[in-house]
Amino acid sequence: MAITDYAIPASALHDAYRAQGVNAVTTVPDFVQFALHDAMKSDDNIRYIECSAENQTLTTAMGLYVGGMSPMVMMQNQGLLNCLNTLRSVGLDAGIPLVLSVGAFGREFANLGQSITESRRVCVNLVEPVMAAMGIPFFHLETTQDLPKVAEAFATAKQQQRVAVVHIGHYPSWT
Amino acid sequence: MSIQVIEACFIVSKMRGENTIIVHTMSAMPMISAISPSPLNITSVPLMGGASGIGLGLAIAQPDRKVVVLDGDASLLMEMGGMAQIGDQAPANLIHIVFNNNAQFGGVANLDRPGGAGFDFCAVAKASGYATANRFSTVPELVEGGPALIQTPGPHFVELDIAKPPKFTRESPQPEFPDMQFARMSAEARAMMDALGVSK
Repeated sequence: MAITDYAIPASALHDAYRAQGVNAVTTVPDFVQFALHDAMKSDDNIRYIECSAENQTLTTAMGLYVGGMSPMVMMQNQGLLNCLNTLRSVGLDAGIPLVLSVGAFGREFANLGQSITESRRVCVNLVEPVMAAMGIPFFHLETTQDLPKVAEAFATAKQQQRVAVVHIGHYPSWT
Repeated sequence: MSIQVIEACFIVSKMRGENTIIVHTMSAMPMISAISPSPLNITSVPLMGGASGIGLGLAIAQPDRKVVVLDGDASLLMEMGGMAQIGDQAPANLIHIVFNNNAQFGGVANLDRPGGAGFDFCAVAKASGYATANRFSTVPELVEGGPALIQTPGPHFVELDIAKPPKFTRESPQPEFPDMQFARMSAEARAMMDALGVSK
């Protein structure tokens, strides 16, 4: 497979999230998801909120959710590791069913098509085991064929009343 | 000069209308829960630093309601970047009150916190873009300044000089936390969603 085969169109991701009723995004921007950030920020139906740190993406999203909106969170894998305690509190103890779209920053191209736990980069290979250790449902998107996992993530978060992670394996394309 | 936590919470309870949402944490927690219980209250616990973010989200989602955040000084320091996004989003219905007792675990162990008594929270609020930022050190000042917070568009920032009550000691050490401490934010979130009519 070519590297471009792993680039899910940002428009397809945007549509998948919007199909779940997302009307707000809280984010510390992710190097991987630039194209999706652009698509979400350009959507007048989405309240797009830049945050200073990943803890605040979660707490602000929690407030939006409790207030009746349908937020999602966008961040990088490093950011996910940065906010584990808040993730524990908001996503597990409080059981707020947020979906986090998390980019695989630093994933070497040679790892594409392989298991992310085999990546040489710690910020890549650590994410899935850490989420498993926390009991957080994890949905890895490697190609366009994995797009149905977005709906699955939202359904799982709602059913289990806890946070879920959609992991974006490669830079979404600007289409 | 300083204000007792119970005095501050009593004045806040008088200021709140029936539709006001309160997000509280740290030293305000036990008092506001006792003085002004409501399904429109939610505690950021155990989540130090989370109150301002939760309050911002609620203020955006519920623009027709006042949202009052009763924050802690050490908590606010932990998530100070949140003030920048509050200034960015500028919800007019948000009132952000910090209970500044110049301590970590104020009223529990009264440990020093970074910044000391000279840390100027109001200056940070003004620089962040809050509509107003005021410091009240006495009950009369808070009583006099309070109504404007409700009657004029914010976001407003208020720093209260809060007294530090006695702490846990060798003779009276910390108790065990009950399960409720870890379950109440979930229960309160769902009760608030029911009260707001937005349960999913």
